[in-house]
Amino acid sequence: MADFLLKAERIVKVYPDGTVALKGVDFEVRPGEIHGLLGENGAGKTTLTKILSGLLPATSGRILTPEGPLKLRSPRDALQRGIGMVHQHFALVDTFTALENIALGTGTEPGPGLRQRVEGLMERSGLKVPLDLPVEELSVGERQRVEILKVLSREVKVLILDEPTSVLTPVETDELFSLLRRLKADGVGIVFITHKLREVLEVTDRVTVLRGGEVVGEVRTRDTSAEELARMMVGEGVVVGRRRPLELATELPIEERRVEETGGREPALVVEGLRVLGEGGREAVRDLSFELYPGEILGIAGVEGNGQTELVEAICGLRRAEAGSVRLRGREVLGRSPVELYRLGLAHVPEDRWKYGLILSFTVAENSILGIQRTPRFKGPLAVLRWGAVARHARELIRRFSIQTPGLDAPVRSLSGGNQQKLIVGRELSKEPEVIVAAQPTRGLDIGAAEYIRELLLKMRDEGKAILLISADLDEVLELSDRVAFMYEGTFTAVARPQEIDRQKAGLYMGGIRAGEGR
Amino acid sequence: MTVKYLWSIFFLSLHAMVPITLTAVGEVVSETAGLFDIGLEGILLLSAFTGALGAEAGGWILGILVGIGTGLVVGLFFGLVNAYWKGNQLITGVGINLFALGFVAFGLQALGTPGFHSVPRVAQLPKVPTPVGGLSPIVFVALFLPFLIHWVLFRTRVGLWIRAVGENPEAADVAGVPVELVQLLSTAFGAALAGLAGAYMSVAWMGSVTKEIAAGRGFIALATVVFSGLNPLLTLAGGFIFGFFDSLATWISNIPGVKEVVPWQFISMTPYVVTLLVVTGVIGRVRFPKALGIPYRRE
Amino acid sequence: MKRVKSSLWSILESVVAGILGLAVAGLILKAWGYSPTAAYVALVRASFTDLYGFAGALANATPLILTAITFAIGARAGLFNIGAEGQLYMGALAAIAASLFRLPAGIHLIVALVFAAVAGVLWSLVPAILRATRGVSEVISTIMFNWIGHFLALFLVANVLVDPYRGEKTISAALTSRFPILIRGTDLSYGIFLSVAFALFVYFLLWHTVVGYEMRAAGANPDAARYGGVQSRRVVVLVFALGGIAAGLAGATQSLGRPPTYAVYSGLPQIANLGFDGIGVAMIGRNHPLGIIAAAIFYGGLQAGARLMQMTAGVPLEMVRVVQGVIVLALALPELLRIFRGLGRRLWRPRSLGEGGEG
Repeated sequence: MADFLLKAERIVKVYPDGTVALKGVDFEVRPGEIHGLLGENGAGKTTLTKILSGLLPATSGRILTPEGPLKLRSPRDALQRGIGMVHQHFALVDTFTALENIALGTGTEPGPGLRQRVEGLMERSGLKVPLDLPVEELSVGERQRVEILKVLSREVKVLILDEPTSVLTPVETDELFSLLRRLKADGVGIVFITHKLREVLEVTDRVTVLRGGEVVGEVRTRDTSAEELARMMVGEGVVVGRRRPLELATELPIEERRVEETGGREPALVVEGLRVLGEGGREAVRDLSFELYPGEILGIAGVEGNGQTELVEAICGLRRAEAGSVRLRGREVLGRSPVELYRLGLAHVPEDRWKYGLILSFTVAENSILGIQRTPRFKGPLAVLRWGAVARHARELIRRFSIQTPGLDAPVRSLSGGNQQKLIVGRELSKEPEVIVAAQPTRGLDIGAAEYIRELLLKMRDEGKAILLISADLDEVLELSDRVAFMYEGTFTAVARPQEIDRQKAGLYMGGIRAGEGR
Repeated sequence: MTVKYLWSIFFLSLHAMVPITLTAVGEVVSETAGLFDIGLEGILLLSAFTGALGAEAGGWILGILVGIGTGLVVGLFFGLVNAYWKGNQLITGVGINLFALGFVAFGLQALGTPGFHSVPRVAQLPKVPTPVGGLSPIVFVALFLPFLIHWVLFRTRVGLWIRAVGENPEAADVAGVPVELVQLLSTAFGAALAGLAGAYMSVAWMGSVTKEIAAGRGFIALATVVFSGLNPLLTLAGGFIFGFFDSLATWISNIPGVKEVVPWQFISMTPYVVTLLVVTGVIGRVRFPKALGIPYRRE
Repeated sequence: MKRVKSSLWSILESVVAGILGLAVAGLILKAWGYSPTAAYVALVRASFTDLYGFAGALANATPLILTAITFAIGARAGLFNIGAEGQLYMGALAAIAASLFRLPAGIHLIVALVFAAVAGVLWSLVPAILRATRGVSEVISTIMFNWIGHFLALFLVANVLVDPYRGEKTISAALTSRFPILIRGTDLSYGIFLSVAFALFVYFLLWHTVVGYEMRAAGANPDAARYGGVQSRRVVVLVFALGGIAAGLAGATQSLGRPPTYAVYSGLPQIANLGFDGIGVAMIGRNHPLGIIAAAIFYGGLQAGARLMQMTAGVPLEMVRVVQGVIVLALALPELLRIFRGLGRRLWRPRSLGEGGEG
């Protein structure tokens, strides 16, 4: 047995738009070993594995097998060489049965021959799945098993799993781990991508930590600890605070309990027992409760995909919730439309700029009134649009927020990302809201624009607005927030003040360790 | 009502079913792969015309082949523009319809009698005589094809590819399926069947071509596709229902008493009213491929 | 400035498509043994070189502007309303029905137009409701209504509104309800003012009212429209209603504005295909009221000239619809030019959402 199955050397990946995802990464997969790949969003984990599994070409660097260098042209190519990947978002066709999906993924006829092989495989691996139901009727755990079967049926030597447990219940996770250990015993080399520290410690033999496209550490699991991993994952650095001390500083519990009211201030937003379903019907937000006060920024930190998107959409009237309540300035608003929420003083800077925030084919001026087109300021008698008022409003936004645009009539898609975001933020703020929900407000922006927006949020906070900030950028959250909540799998693992959080603790909370828990 | 009379009604309905079923089952393949072709009406019209010309030139065999070929060419064009070049399927379809309308009217006028052209008896596809009436051979084709297509779609690898491409093109792409090629061939196949249906109408069924020969059948076929829920076997049922009402006008006025009470225009309306009712009743319960009508763009 | 630039681009695309259309049609003519140059010369000569010809072009454009608007309003709001054909049949007949009453001149015309508009709306109501409440594809429902309307119209023409003295046509429109003729000796009536006025009204509606803003938003980005508080059901019904009014009025311009008989004949020759041609006109005019007016005049000119073309060059006049079809198909292609432009822009600009690799 060779001492390695797959070796990546100095892999660099630069995307066509200039983003550098990987800066020269070395990675090795050994037989009979589970190798964990740990890192935050944007660290490069998925990019690396997409390259290893043939989905993307590397910009430079090479991939080696014991037989020599490898040039992968497609996922099917990789599969033929024995490298199989189970994606985070399953590449399954919902209306197909498990058998048909396996046939599709392996390029075979969905006939009795395949059925026999798959049944044998199920026997050997212990993975049981109903073969003849449409995959959309299976539980998420079962669907994942179909993905795994798809890959296993090709006798892979290297198995890559991208955040496999993000969709599993604890029981299913245990079953998965048993399977992985069995495969390990058979000599398969397993790559396990995750951001969950506890799992890394539980099931991997070695861990490689990526940060900013580089390897910051590679250790044997039994030689390391959660703290060390957390530190490697989020890096060293002092938490910079740019806020003046909070007037209503309270004694904050660091478990997920409701914050006590102080200073006689009524909370601007109260969320209680919120339950929201996400993709595939699974729970994205689980019995979540919190309060947001005027004059504070409550930051929600966490790796993307832990329910933040669904939470924001439910609060802002774009997604229905299964249970719970949302009270905006005292009024129950769950299920109301965005316009009603706006009338009650809520503004929403959406995470998906192009889906919700802007109409790309419309002009700057037209986008500047999206959501407020029916206010008397813009809507005249007989529903005539007061273009004069609209132009004045747009010009005002451009001036106040330094938006670079060729003109009011420029189609908004011609603006840079930063200016588009400034337009959205400016528009929302111009609604003079009391509560602002800002989801990933500086994502993808250049430094200048990002700083600008952060300053803006602080200014709003100083003016007494209540701001809910959701960001996958830990630094940003710690820098701006008066209180920070860490979101993991639909609930908060910790709520604290940034001064009480060092980066290591942050890493732990983001990785699923609850505050106050033992190691 | 004698048995012979009932048989003749049945046969009439079968003949009227053919263009609907053929077109619909072809469109089922196309929509299963994700392409929505509203130009079917135009294809029917065009191939009815070209088929008639072909039959005149070289007998019914040539006529049928020319008709199929016409559909194929249009389908390849449609597939090229929409699968490869990510064009707008609705606009392309409308363009085909308008073009066909103009071209056929133009052609009919150029050939002599504006608006009408008959196919010589000799060139028509002869019917198979049975004890109870004549049956065009293409009826058998129309009865058989849905079963064949059902088998291919649901029991073979190729069918898997077609279904995957329409439902989840990314998954198909990752699995190595040539998405655009599958879409192109699927829609071309569907159009070829519509071409057969058109040629059938002029060469085998009516024996003539008019500007209005399609009479909305392309759209009724679309409605049949909705009704069938993309199950090829149900296009037989749908086609027969519409065929029945379509041929209603031919025989119902022979029933004493009907002609006086119900004006023929209302009888002629029935296929369309029935289509509407069926589509309304069925919508919401039918599930379409998730990527239908959406051009597939890679990251 | 940017907007002017993008409008110029659109006009360029239509012009290119137009040239392509004429070129391909010319090839077909050649293949069939006709002379394309003789045909086109005759076309242009008939419609665009003298007043009477141009009046003919405008007369043809009158209903086309309205039926194109029917489709275009829908398209702007993201709906595919191809029901103008049936709606205009109903409008034409409803306008004639108004002649069953006796009313003073002027008032009579207005009443007839109201009848026509209402008939158009009623005929578009069912597809609208089906779409708004049950999500039934308006492509199928409007086409079915076209055909139902076709037969209903045939029935009404032959049995209800039939002229007792001449069974092949309806009663003629009452003198007091007719559109006055604009230029003596031509077919051009004051109907053209109605069409242009309606087109301008729609232009104003779409770009200068909140209602129009919401319609366009719903068509451009339904998610953002929802975020912006637009109620999609209301938009659907409104769009179909307006389209129905336009198509109904289009029918009225034909039954009330076509000398010498001011009636509808069995077989519906005066009103047939105006709906479908309107769709082509709308596409060539890029779904913009001003573009539609231009495209309608262009197409109306082609139609008017077609007769002369048939006489002098022997080319069947249906050729113009071939030209129209090819132009629309060619327009499906310049859509690609737009797509390529967009792709090119996305590649050169840094991606705004920071995509390009998650962790």
